[in-house]
Amino acid sequence: MTVHNFYMFDRYGQLLFYAEWNRLRQSGITREEEAKLMYGMLFSIKSFVSRISPLDNTSGSREGFHCYRTSKYALHYMETPTGLKLVLNTDNVAVNVHELLKQIYSQVYVEYVVKNPLCNLSEPIKSDLFEAQLDAVVKQSHVFTSKPT
Amino acid sequence: MSRQGARLDAKKVNSELFTLTYGTLVSQLLKDYENVDEVNKQLERMGYNIGIRLIEDFLARTGSGRCYDFKDTAEKIQAGFRIFLGVSPTISNWGPGGDEFSLIFESNPLTEFVELPDHCLNLKYCNILAGVLRGACEMVQMEVTSWFVQDQLKGDNVTELRVKFIKRLEDAIPAGED
Amino acid sequence: MSNAITISVVRPKTSLLDKPLSKGKGEVSLSSFALLFSELVQYCQNRVYTVPELQTKLAEMGQDVGSKVIDLFFVRDRSWKRETKLIHMLFFIKTTLWKSLFGREADKLERANDDEATYYIIEDEPLVNKYISVPKDKGSLNCAVFVAGIIEAVLNGCGFACKVTAHWHKGTTYMVKFEDHVISRDKQLGDQKSM
Repeated sequence: MTVHNFYMFDRYGQLLFYAEWNRLRQSGITREEEAKLMYGMLFSIKSFVSRISPLDNTSGSREGFHCYRTSKYALHYMETPTGLKLVLNTDNVAVNVHELLKQIYSQVYVEYVVKNPLCNLSEPIKSDLFEAQLDAVVKQSHVFTSKPT
Repeated sequence: MSRQGARLDAKKVNSELFTLTYGTLVSQLLKDYENVDEVNKQLERMGYNIGIRLIEDFLARTGSGRCYDFKDTAEKIQAGFRIFLGVSPTISNWGPGGDEFSLIFESNPLTEFVELPDHCLNLKYCNILAGVLRGACEMVQMEVTSWFVQDQLKGDNVTELRVKFIKRLEDAIPAGED
Repeated sequence: MSNAITISVVRPKTSLLDKPLSKGKGEVSLSSFALLFSELVQYCQNRVYTVPELQTKLAEMGQDVGSKVIDLFFVRDRSWKRETKLIHMLFFIKTTLWKSLFGREADKLERANDDEATYYIIEDEPLVNKYISVPKDKGSLNCAVFVAGIIEAVLNGCGFACKVTAHWHKGTTYMVKFEDHVISRDKQLGDQKSM
């Protein structure tokens, strides 16, 4: 199992943070364009998911989209009620990635960005501490193994 | 299966350190502004700044999703006071439209050692709380306003914070989509 | 008559002093304190221009807190008895005071090798610094000056005139520099005891 890369967006779609571990191929466009594409896709898929839903879940529409899976990799998505969006790409055998996303939110973002008075919440994250903690949490996770299988 | 990391930081601090730190902040504001109304405004603004951060901590701890209705919101705000200030205000006095309620505080760690001097009777000593609620709710797409209707520091039996729902805020739409 | 009623509405019926002193065991979440402290730091920061000015402001606010905890703790934990010996006073700060305020004792208490008037209280990770990462352009800023202010006010308020500063060393080191007359008085006290 392995983790490829991570994106974090604020409620306005601004890329707050990007990190990668075993990313074997780049998209060939700038990070900025890539982030825009990613955010646009998430936005569309979310509205599609809630529009097409056969269930009456008006209040649950935000949690509606969790992941998509190709034959090679999977994209896992989590959105908080505050509109923060976390995306983790893994190989497609990884399980319980949602737990890892929650952990990143509660143990890394909340602890090292939210509680750090010198981090502005509406700007891309530039904290070394955040970066190091994110790396540690991802690498300790059962989802992560150093070599792609 | 999933390896849970260290438990969420549920650490506590002595409430007196908190009370006195807040007290020194309020008295510093009074020194700097010499105008009670301006101090009330500043306290509210600081509360707002705290609220937009505190909400993330609240969500991370409770794992709660979006509110179903304003009753749900009221209960979550009540839970927030329990988590962050160790007090449980009572929810009461619902307005007829269901968009307004009161939080009744029997005690409040912010005011533990406080008596208002005569020249500060208009000071809304706890106005920071009104700001916290505004900031926290705004982050979950809700505009609310709140104000004190009763205040133990002014001789009332309880402190009553009134909370009113204004409107739902829309989610931001990425550029180029509609 | 109507006058009297108005007064009873605006003035508290019971004074704060009529209530018993609490046991001081109340707690609030660390997050609440951290965010409040962070607002306090930002407020001060917006009103000054330099790091030293900011430190002074934070220390002043710490002193304000310190001056209020002295009686609180001596009344509660020591049945009104103040300390007269310097080393006992420092020990009181390292243990009782620290534990009440921050939930644990300070890590170390040391005396400077080369100066009998200087002591160090050392703490790996002060509560106030837990979530603060200081940007490189403000390298020397240590928000624990707030705590230094508390200590200074407590020591001064108990008759041990001193200056307390906070430094980045082994975590955070609070340097307590006593005035000479405090040290000589303390020696006299010691002599009397041994006689």
